[in-house]
Amino acid sequence: MNIQLYNITKRFGDVTANDGISLDIRAGEVVALLGENGAGKSTLMKMLFGLYPPDGGAILINDRETTIESPQKAMSLGIGMVFQQFNLVPALSVLDNLLLAYPKSPFWTFRRLFRTSPRKAVLTYLQELAPGLAPDTLVRDLSVGQRQLLELVKVLNLDAKVLILDEPTSVLPPQEAERLWGLIRKLAEAGRSVVLITHKMQDVMACAHRVVVMRAGRMVQTIDRKQCTESSLVSLMMGDSNQRSAIEVTPREAFANRPPRISIRDLHARHGAQSVENIRLDIAPGEILGVAGVSGNGQHLLADALVGLTPLARGEVIIDGYLLQSASRPPSTSGRVSYIPEQPAVNAVAADLSLTTNVALSHFRHLSFFPAWAPEEQLTRNIIQRYQVRPDNPALAAGQLSGGNLQKLVVGRELEGDKDLIVAAYPTMGLDAGAAHDIYQALFAKANEGAAVLWISEDLDDLMSYAHRIAVLQGGRISGIFDPRECDRLDIGRAMTGEPQPARTQRPPEQKPADPRVRAAS
Amino acid sequence: MTNATQLPVTLGLRLLRGPAGAVLVMATIFVVATLAFFAINGREAVSLFQEMVMGAFGDSYSFSETLVKTAPILLTALAVALPARLGLISVGGEGQLYLGALFGTGAVLAAVDQPGWILMPLMLAGAMAGGALWGVIPGLLKTRLGVNETISTLLLNYVGILLVSFVVHGPWKNPNSLGWPATIEFPAGAIMPQFFDTRVHMGLVFGIVAAIILHILVTRSRWGLGLQVSRSNPRVGATAGISYERNVLIVMAVGGLLAGLAGIAEASVIQNRLQDGLASGYGMTGFLVAWLAGQHFLRIIPLSVLMGGLLASADSLQLYAQLPKASADILQALLFIIVLAVASLWGRRRDI
Repeated sequence: MNIQLYNITKRFGDVTANDGISLDIRAGEVVALLGENGAGKSTLMKMLFGLYPPDGGAILINDRETTIESPQKAMSLGIGMVFQQFNLVPALSVLDNLLLAYPKSPFWTFRRLFRTSPRKAVLTYLQELAPGLAPDTLVRDLSVGQRQLLELVKVLNLDAKVLILDEPTSVLPPQEAERLWGLIRKLAEAGRSVVLITHKMQDVMACAHRVVVMRAGRMVQTIDRKQCTESSLVSLMMGDSNQRSAIEVTPREAFANRPPRISIRDLHARHGAQSVENIRLDIAPGEILGVAGVSGNGQHLLADALVGLTPLARGEVIIDGYLLQSASRPPSTSGRVSYIPEQPAVNAVAADLSLTTNVALSHFRHLSFFPAWAPEEQLTRNIIQRYQVRPDNPALAAGQLSGGNLQKLVVGRELEGDKDLIVAAYPTMGLDAGAAHDIYQALFAKANEGAAVLWISEDLDDLMSYAHRIAVLQGGRISGIFDPRECDRLDIGRAMTGEPQPARTQRPPEQKPADPRVRAAS
Repeated sequence: MTNATQLPVTLGLRLLRGPAGAVLVMATIFVVATLAFFAINGREAVSLFQEMVMGAFGDSYSFSETLVKTAPILLTALAVALPARLGLISVGGEGQLYLGALFGTGAVLAAVDQPGWILMPLMLAGAMAGGALWGVIPGLLKTRLGVNETISTLLLNYVGILLVSFVVHGPWKNPNSLGWPATIEFPAGAIMPQFFDTRVHMGLVFGIVAAIILHILVTRSRWGLGLQVSRSNPRVGATAGISYERNVLIVMAVGGLLAGLAGIAEASVIQNRLQDGLASGYGMTGFLVAWLAGQHFLRIIPLSVLMGGLLASADSLQLYAQLPKASADILQALLFIIVLAVASLWGRRRDI
């Protein structure tokens, strides 16, 4: 099946999301749609999947103009899409979720009469993609990466000829990402086409045949993958005028001999089915300690326990010789500890209160009994301006901002003032490269001022570029601590999934971290 | 049509589309429903309605009786609205009112020979302690054991009412009352001050002052901000150092304390003694008023007066029209349903 998008235009209000984009998708080809967040990649593909009608232009399928008015129509044409947000029922098993998404044949048909369940059919791709995953596992017990694969299997089961994958590797550990790349190549060999929406160079390099670079709603260039390099793609993606200064991180030697600012001693905590055990970490003032791991391996609980939102079952946390948290007393939060939690829209703001109020919360203890709001509003304006929060009205309710803008607001709020410890969970998730860059700069500047930074992330490239040390959480325990200058992605990947490390001599050749500008974009 | 004549018209229309229109529609439907109710009962609807309005607001005596009923409604409404600011749905105003009366009376009986300047503060302190206790118990159950506060406050109402019933039938029964279940008459020092030779008493002043103070605290102070944050997102509150648990206990205690004052005012001024059937459902009426006012402390004041008027006029309906006393409850329920239905319909229409 060949698809041609011809001169597609889409506007949302005053914003032109897609401006006259023409694109061919040929059978047996992997097209990478590369661009920063907000470049219009997803919008374009959502039009192909029938979620929005285009404002101009035409979609040609096998040279016939076709209107795709709904996802049902797209699926009947053989176009399937895997989204960044999952559409799974957590309380049901893997098998049930697959059966739910499987098209039913009407009850009078032959197949329906004689085959009670398409159980075998729905599991074929699953066994190929995730051989270790038992079909009767409940979806709520799956990691994010496994859920992603399950979504992909759902679409494959519909026998889609054209597969659109929206940022599929953003939540996968390296080995799973590699397995996915392999699968994508195999699908292409079998004559299907795959459109890979991504902002990661590795995805492009690993499996794309053709790269389509988009920037600010326009198509910048279409290039054969073999004819381009990572850095040429980065400059195409970000635009030459838009190059940013590299992020400065003080080398680790500068504070190697300082006593630790924060000591986590033998920390155990438990919440529901989650637990963290036996965590021992020292972080020096100025040090950036990265915490890697597949999401759901105790990151959330560790962060909550450190800042005092969850009681410790055992152990203690000491800052500068003072007891911050301990198992022998109820947990308490401190004004010297900043917390940037994951999903700030849910965990860090009161959605129905104003931005000013939400900013004031970071120093709630120091407000006077009848708070003066003028300085708070000024502070909020400063944060809005520095981090380019949109819309820029401090009186708006926080719930009226998008997730990315709330993220920026929360980071700005938490990095305000003097801090001893900053716990940042996925501080740049869902942000475009420019905003992520600003946030890294602000976060690491705090480290330079002497704060200890515990930085939880799933982005190994960023961790390896900026963190001084990387601790890997697996099943609630620290399965390894790495120096990013002396390890490669696969070492960390193995620690993330709990595979044993191979002997040192068998290590594959070292992958050099690329130059910081490349990392800033990924 | 010229622009000059169009402007006021469009302005008026915009007002009508807003809250003013909603109130107008509510009032119209309520009047029509009330007239229909009278007509169904075979009465001269319009004149009876006039009678009812006169019975509540017609002369200074009627109005004073309206205010007498306003006081407990106002206080119990505050006892519901304050916890609601933290997202708690308390229906315990009635029980807290009874406990206030019980503890206040206990203080009076214990110090019955003391002069008024000792007896009165003692009585008020007892009443506040009793009401607060009946607020703190569900508060503790909520924070320690996660017991739903609506259920526990509802059930504690019955315990409170029956406790009063127990003491007036048993240990505190006046031996000279010839079997009538009531305590002895309060001494003069335990009768709360009244105004203008009517039964309008200090309870009304307490209620209005409390409403204003609470309004300022909740909308302007750091503590009120903490309530808003905890209600919106307790986790975020905890991160900022706001204790949800402590605030639950505070709002439940303060709410209970206010309802307790309503209880002792009823016993002291209206009945002059503690007896069965002390409050005739003021706690429930207060709950309705708090929700009609959208938990807004200042709006509670006029709404309490209106509701007090409705209850006061029910007395005159009984007197002049021989309608059963339950008519007031029926009209109250009609009002509540109409207000809630119109408010939500209005909101929905404006969303479109």
